[in-house]
Amino acid sequence: MNIYICVGSSCHLKGSYNIINLMKDALEKNNLTDKVNVSAAFCLGRCTNGVTIKVDDEIITGVSPENFNEIFEQHVLKNVQ
Amino acid sequence: MNNLWTDTGYVSINKKGEQLCGDKVEIIGSADDCLTLVLADGLGSGVKANILSTLTSKILSTMIDAGMSIEECVETIVKTLPVCQVRKVAYSTFTIIRIDHNDTARIIQFDNPNVIFLRNGKNVDYPIISRVVGDKTVLESTIPLQLDDTFIAMSDGAIYAGVGKSLNFGWQRENIIDFAEAIFDWSMSAKTISTMIVDECNTLYEGEPGDDTTIACVKIKKRNPVNLMIGPPSNPKDVNMMMNLFFSKEGSKIVCGGTTSTLAAEFLGKPINTSIDYCDPEIPPIAYVEGIDLVTEGVITISRVVEYAKAFLSSNDITAPWANRKDGAAKIAQMLFEQATDINFFVGKAINPAHQNPNLPINFGIKIRLIQELAEYLKQMGKHIKVSYF
Repeated sequence: MNIYICVGSSCHLKGSYNIINLMKDALEKNNLTDKVNVSAAFCLGRCTNGVTIKVDDEIITGVSPENFNEIFEQHVLKNVQ
Repeated sequence: MNNLWTDTGYVSINKKGEQLCGDKVEIIGSADDCLTLVLADGLGSGVKANILSTLTSKILSTMIDAGMSIEECVETIVKTLPVCQVRKVAYSTFTIIRIDHNDTARIIQFDNPNVIFLRNGKNVDYPIISRVVGDKTVLESTIPLQLDDTFIAMSDGAIYAGVGKSLNFGWQRENIIDFAEAIFDWSMSAKTISTMIVDECNTLYEGEPGDDTTIACVKIKKRNPVNLMIGPPSNPKDVNMMMNLFFSKEGSKIVCGGTTSTLAAEFLGKPINTSIDYCDPEIPPIAYVEGIDLVTEGVITISRVVEYAKAFLSSNDITAPWANRKDGAAKIAQMLFEQATDINFFVGKAINPAHQNPNLPINFGIKIRLIQELAEYLKQMGKHIKVSYF
């Protein structure tokens, strides 16, 4: 599985840095580091609704530390093989 | 035209407890033609010294730049300077370095420690002719220039550094020569050389300088063009034209902005790999595209570069926090401040709809203003700047 986290200007200002760290921690906690590849992306084109992430081909917007766990469970844990 | 460039830079630190510096450096002209640097050190310290050195450096640089003879210049200085009520003299020492078309240096010195001349990074003694003008003895030299020739001028604060503290006799000219030879590196800018020497003086003074201390450096470099592109063109049809112009330019390439770098990568037919490492949590990570020397985020990164440029220009700043960092802004600063002599900005005027959100502290106006501000600071660093809008 590939996850891209947007680090464009808008998403950066809305907290990409925290989301990257949360993502790295969550993957480690669930022993998924060798199954999931996390990278950064320059602008996924949804600047108004950041922070934007892309899980394989699915784009998820409005990620924040508050809803991170929910999104992680729904989009990452459920889909990972 | 010989593909060479004259890089100048200086740093001063004030005598402990003084608000004003009694040393003054004035640079006039441009490396394209003739460039004159004057370092003046006013008698005493504080306001009086500051006025004397400011007058001296301004008068000398203006007159020398206008091609007047040294006799006339010295005579004017003597007649113009206000006389000190305590000492009954009007006095400021000075060093003049004039570079003609990047191929000849003329040095005129009066009572400052002698200019250090490095060729290929090693100290070289140069011929000095002494002349008496009025009641003053002035030293004159003419030196044909080569690539990497470096002149280091100083006020006497530098050679007294550490007297009575860490050293008995101060940091003498020979010691400064050893230090300058040791730190010399062809890629260093004149400002960095000045900064490192002044920093060493400050350390010897244990952070409490006993006199105003100034180092001014002139270095002959190879011209090094750098091109920086930020923002897509206002008319999407112009993307190819803008990219064509940008990539056909000689020199290093920097691309700033998410959309812009995506377009540039498409133009080159190369993938864009964004790094996930935040070297600095405030600056978005950089990316890699084959064929582009540096790819960064746009507005946030550039606004940090502008902050760095502002600090770099202040003559009292000896920190240069960007020099060893690896984030996007620091890398741009290294390329533009240290390495570049000619900088071409390619500024796209497209408006990013996402940036017009009132909740975001970035918008179109800010981008253009940042580039103008940065261009202005780079001009003050003596660089050749061209800004094109698309």
